[in-house]
Amino acid sequence: MLRPALVVLALATLTARPPDRLTAQAPGSIVIVSGQFPSQPVPTLGRGLADNDIADLLFLRLVRLGPTLTTAGDRGFVPQLAKSWTRRDSLTLVFELDARAKWHDGVPVTAKDVAWTFTRARDPAVAPAHATALRWLASVAADGDHRVVVRFTKAYPTQLFDAAWQLPVLPAHLLDSIPPAQLSTSAFVKSPVGNGPYRFVRSVPGQLVELVAVPGHYLGTPKLARVVYRASADGDTRMNLLLSGEGDGLEQLSLKSQQERFSASPDFRLVQVPSFHVMYALFNQRSPSDRAAPHPVLADAKVRQALVLALDRATAAKALYGDAATVPVGPGSMALWARAEPSTTAGGDTARAAALLAEAGWSDRDGDGVREQGGRPLRLSLIFPGTSPARRLAAQLIQEQWRRVGIQVELEPLEFPAYIERRNARNFDIDLTAVNQDPNPAGLLQGWSCAGGNNIVGYCDPGVDSLLNRAEGARDGGRELWQAALRRIDAGAPAAFLVSPANVVAVHRRYTGVTLRADGLWSALAAWSVTAGSELPRDRTGAP
Amino acid sequence: MSRWLLRRAAQGALTWGIAATALFLLVRLLPGDPLASAADLPPETRDSLARLYGLDQPLLTQLHHFVRGLLHGDLGVSILHGRPVTELIRDHLPPTLLLGASVLVADLAIALWLGTRLAARAGSVTDRWTMRALLTAHGLPPFWLGLLLVWLFALVWRILPAGGITDPMLHADTGLLARAVDVARHLFLPWLTLTLTGVVVPLRHHREAVIEALDADWVRSARARGVPEGEVLTRHASRAALTPILMVAGLWLPMILTGAVLVETTFAWPGLGWLMAESVGGRDYPVATACVLLGTAAVVFGSFVADLAQRLLDPRVAE
Repeated sequence: MLRPALVVLALATLTARPPDRLTAQAPGSIVIVSGQFPSQPVPTLGRGLADNDIADLLFLRLVRLGPTLTTAGDRGFVPQLAKSWTRRDSLTLVFELDARAKWHDGVPVTAKDVAWTFTRARDPAVAPAHATALRWLASVAADGDHRVVVRFTKAYPTQLFDAAWQLPVLPAHLLDSIPPAQLSTSAFVKSPVGNGPYRFVRSVPGQLVELVAVPGHYLGTPKLARVVYRASADGDTRMNLLLSGEGDGLEQLSLKSQQERFSASPDFRLVQVPSFHVMYALFNQRSPSDRAAPHPVLADAKVRQALVLALDRATAAKALYGDAATVPVGPGSMALWARAEPSTTAGGDTARAAALLAEAGWSDRDGDGVREQGGRPLRLSLIFPGTSPARRLAAQLIQEQWRRVGIQVELEPLEFPAYIERRNARNFDIDLTAVNQDPNPAGLLQGWSCAGGNNIVGYCDPGVDSLLNRAEGARDGGRELWQAALRRIDAGAPAAFLVSPANVVAVHRRYTGVTLRADGLWSALAAWSVTAGSELPRDRTGAP
Repeated sequence: MSRWLLRRAAQGALTWGIAATALFLLVRLLPGDPLASAADLPPETRDSLARLYGLDQPLLTQLHHFVRGLLHGDLGVSILHGRPVTELIRDHLPPTLLLGASVLVADLAIALWLGTRLAARAGSVTDRWTMRALLTAHGLPPFWLGLLLVWLFALVWRILPAGGITDPMLHADTGLLARAVDVARHLFLPWLTLTLTGVVVPLRHHREAVIEALDADWVRSARARGVPEGEVLTRHASRAALTPILMVAGLWLPMILTGAVLVETTFAWPGLGWLMAESVGGRDYPVATACVLLGTAAVVFGSFVADLAQRLLDPRVAE
């Protein structure tokens, strides 16, 4: 009799929730679930999405992007650490810092912090990615406590973006004694001291990072008192954590099948946030076995154009993402301010594709469903990371659509590091790739100009180069030039630009004032609040 | 005995050293780019990162640096996390030990108790159906069973958490008992998954050994002396049949460290299995090497424990 009673007691204890500590105030909280754990949420160190998410809440930039996400010119930015900025000449910007800004240890934020941060980040040995982004800065100097003078080596329209958005400011008084090589293992990384609306409380490796609101922050006291960031590598587990009531926010639910799991839930709503994400099938124009030789099939522009026209990209985008995606013109994501729209060939044209292939000398003479040229079948391989559900589904869809016009495509799903190795070695015919673009369209030069560092397929159109270079230097930001460049890239068919999906985010319905930003998804969290009367027990759990 | 211990320790160290060198090289020979996570960066940036992590060095130079670091207790810095590997191992080892040890203890306890009782009823309906049910559970993929249990307990009934090891919203002042209950709630589903899918192995070994022991002369003589059947079963037959199950336990030790990769992922359990999967998948060489070295050490140690247990329980082996 005793043993069953003990078993029942043990089960009752296990299934009973531990008591939450209730406090008098109702401060509100949010549990964000992510696929990555933020190991180093410190600017210049962190590389992952999760690191950036946390760094956005801990550290402020001089300015943030305005609602249009425009990166060109000196207007359209929103003050953060800098309350104002002026231009001395075409090579010099002057920022006035907000004197109310303080580090979480109470020390005021000064111009010395800004100068120190930029000086260190421009060292390629310390922060290689930032050093590249800040390559046109000549100097960053403090002029008194609250004035920063930034000089550039050349005049260009995105100077303010580079100087004020690329890099959040770090506390010089805590970091200048730490050698750069020791920063990643320093106590500061384990417990960062920032200047943002939230301060760091604790990190439990592999599990969670906890932040609390900074009362009386000079940009306003955040309405949610606690932010907990949980990590789970598995996509299903992340969704389970929300649907079981253990999480409040989850991003990257772009696939239709993922959205369907939440659409039936009374607790969550789905928010579509424009993203800088573009997926495309990149055509290698150089032979994989001999980089000096042209690709035997894909060097022919007619074949590449036929490959694009054979695809019904609009239907494919809808099948994969529902209404949460657009078909881009060239590599212009839906959040890029310089994007061109709409795509006129999104629906495809199989008749025109077949005609182009015939013109290029590819026809199905033996009736086996695959076109040939001089006895050589039109057979190509397509590499992609097999761990990406979106690309796996997209690969199957485009394989089928190309089969209908007589092109045989062999799918090669690869483990991600193996995929990157094949890609870097240029050892592929077609690469089903996806990129997260920089908000600054100048990043297009890296991938699509003849000498671009990320142009791995030998694509070269001097006309595109001319447009990109003129757009980069245009004083008015060059929107029309960027758009013309995107259209020209699209027409040249170096890739089939398949889809730019929105970032679909599941958010618990109890929040009001929900703003999710394309340039830092959770960075506006300080303005969120919990609707009175709909608090969960965890919203009343006092901050530690 | 002491000579045997010394000989086994030397053999173990040699085995581990050879395996460690081979695994160090094998991990690096896997196709794949360890800087895949920096794929979008310009080539010059990637080159800087490669220099930072010593990936531009020849393989033998990397091995030399690794061995030198290992002798000083330095396993390098993680490429994915940018943190010292020893710190990562220290953070992720305790959850794995908790899960693995609780599963091992449960498996052995159930195997001893149920295996003995099923042996006493060998061939009966209860014995046949229990073994069939346990073999079916053993045949289920653990991650699939885990997802099923999550769906039932966390999503439908909402009585247990879906993942993690603690409730992140637990207040800092929460008492030790409440914290222990919280961990137990999180532990329950991964523990149940691994126990259900694994228990049949030691149980079957023990059941067979007890059946064999029940036929032995000393058991028959105990019965002839009028020893009660329960005592015959537990004190005479079951105790004499301990050797196989202890062998299994010793060989199972490595499973505690590395055997729950999929289950740790399914339950967001922040253990070594999760770290190992992430590091191998991301070609985080320093972490992957450390994980496989730890696994190899567990194999060597487990096999040593199994041999030792056998010698202690059965003096004929030593002779």
